[in-house]
Amino acid sequence: MIERNERKAYWRHTKVQMLTSLLPFLLAMVILPIYADAFNDKRVLGMPLGYFLACHGLMVIAFITVAVFINRQDAIDHWHGAHEDF
Amino acid sequence: MAFTSSTRLVNPRLGTYFGIFTAALVALVLMALMLEQLGTADGLLRALMFAAPLLLYAAIGFNARAREPHDYFASGRRVPAFFNGLVLGVAALGGAGFLGLTGALFIAGFDALCLSIGWCAGLVFMAVLFAPYVRKFGAYTVPAFLGRRFDSRAVRLLAAAVLSPVILLVLIAEVRFAAYASAWLLGQPEQVMTAVLMALVAGVLAAGGMRSLTWSSVAKAITALLALAVPATIFALLASNLPLPQMTHGNTLRVLTRMEMMRNVPILIAPPLALDLAGVGMEALAKRFVQSFGNVGPVGFVLASLVMAAGIAASPVLLPRSGTTPGVYEARKSLGWAVLVTGVVLLTLPAVAVYLRFLLFEQVVGQPPDQLPAWMQILQQAGIAQIEPGSQPVSLSRFGFERDAVLFALPIAAGYPQVLVYLALLGALAAALTGLSASLFALAAIIAEDVVRTSPVEVTSDRARLGRARLALAAVAFVGIWLAIAVPADPLQLFLWAATLSASTCFPVLVLSIWWRRTKALGAMAGMLSGLLIAGAAILLSEAGAIALPSALAGALGVPCAMLVTMVGSLMAPGAGHKVLEQLREMRMPGGETVYDREMRLLRLKNRSPS
Repeated sequence: MIERNERKAYWRHTKVQMLTSLLPFLLAMVILPIYADAFNDKRVLGMPLGYFLACHGLMVIAFITVAVFINRQDAIDHWHGAHEDF
Repeated sequence: MAFTSSTRLVNPRLGTYFGIFTAALVALVLMALMLEQLGTADGLLRALMFAAPLLLYAAIGFNARAREPHDYFASGRRVPAFFNGLVLGVAALGGAGFLGLTGALFIAGFDALCLSIGWCAGLVFMAVLFAPYVRKFGAYTVPAFLGRRFDSRAVRLLAAAVLSPVILLVLIAEVRFAAYASAWLLGQPEQVMTAVLMALVAGVLAAGGMRSLTWSSVAKAITALLALAVPATIFALLASNLPLPQMTHGNTLRVLTRMEMMRNVPILIAPPLALDLAGVGMEALAKRFVQSFGNVGPVGFVLASLVMAAGIAASPVLLPRSGTTPGVYEARKSLGWAVLVTGVVLLTLPAVAVYLRFLLFEQVVGQPPDQLPAWMQILQQAGIAQIEPGSQPVSLSRFGFERDAVLFALPIAAGYPQVLVYLALLGALAAALTGLSASLFALAAIIAEDVVRTSPVEVTSDRARLGRARLALAAVAFVGIWLAIAVPADPLQLFLWAATLSASTCFPVLVLSIWWRRTKALGAMAGMLSGLLIAGAAILLSEAGAIALPSALAGALGVPCAMLVTMVGSLMAPGAGHKVLEQLREMRMPGGETVYDREMRLLRLKNRSPS
């Protein structure tokens, strides 16, 4: 169980982690489709680059975002002793 | 990873069971393929492909009985992360994702990606913002979560009243998609199929609630993924020698782009705020596939993906699912699996759309009307495609296609055996049934737990509690059947409205109630109400043509307004009590017992008669 005086530090850490997970993803999610047409003259795997980034790129970024979040948040839980201890 | 006592609750043979299910499904398809070659009657094949998997789902659901609320509402909290993520991903997409989105991608091309981006991002938001905390809290429904978080019965009732219509919209959309797919599969009228499917789903859910829902939905999700993968993979193999449609549809797309250029398909430019995704009925292919912002303007695109993401993340249909995992860590991990599953599906759907468009441009567009391929005549006779009569070569302006039929039109157009067409329909049906059962259960749970239940809560006997939940299930099923038959609206549009409403009512309040300590009951109530009113008014005004904002983007007004109102209302309200703050602190830490379960345990101890 978490120590009383660790609670504040834990929550601050968690909030920072939430922002570092979501803000880059939000940025990518807005920017990539907007500039898709500008990238479309290059090709990857036969697909226009803009389409490839907005479709495949974003899905990969989403998965990486969640995977990194799970890993980091678990590390934060353990660091502050807030993890589940059954 | 250490094995905690909570993971030890998990049935170790789940993988074997669902391996057997998958093998049975594959065997069924192979057997149907053989029977088709042997000349079995078409009606028999259709019935076999419809009934056999449905019987399997029902058997799995009935076997997962529940006798106590913990099993009925939270599946005993022993669903492993992978299975939970699988169900979550497919339930989030539902029929709207499998049938509606494929069609929208086929007709609007790149522009429909705003929806798939929203779907995927919604699960990311849910993972980071909500799921771990909702799991630690452990309440069975979203209104129960909010009511206990603010220690206020009024919040709980208001949340139930505000969220019920939102879930009802999802329910109608999903049952319409399910009825659509099964009507094609069986050749029966949609109204009949609506009643049959709803009764079936309600019956299975009544047996074991969330437990039945989870395990039968795992089977449905496996069917949906398999059925989506098989036709697309066969096409990819034939077109590129690699069985990966997601990565290899590029070459087909390149040829398609060249053909579109040769046929002078116009490059459209939409106004910034436009959101013109395909509707029901025959839709023309107005723009090139890869060109962006032809049907959807750039502002509309960004807003649509953000609103959709907020709506999926705070969806009252999906959030209770995170309560079924053994722990907070597993709840996070299950969202990781959900993003993976959804991502793979959302990459396969554009491939299906590109393949069908390619076949169309290669074999139909520009051909004289008397030299059309046989599959085009089949599609025309079935009412899926339409070519205006005339003696000129077929041009795009005279050509229409039905949006929701794209997923199973590909196996027809590619000339696959009839059984693969039925398989595609079966997959779409399975996905729609997953969404349908999730929304039916969520709504019935809200009615039984948050509306009907009188205080003092949770002290009634388990029998009475479950009886009420089953009664609510039957009532909601009847209302659902009646509304689905009575409301002839476009199901994808209904789904988008549900997303935009859940974004404006639920998302701001949930975010603030978890992440902002000063949120109070007054602010939460004002926020939910203003979100519903503003988004609802925007939808009505937009449908009446009074404002230029597309109705699916009503959340773009609703979310910021509800956020602001919640904050102002919370700042004006008096300070929260010690109990509420202590509960919030506890919810934020993964360690320790689930808040709701502990309270139930204490209540039961307190109410136990001295013996």
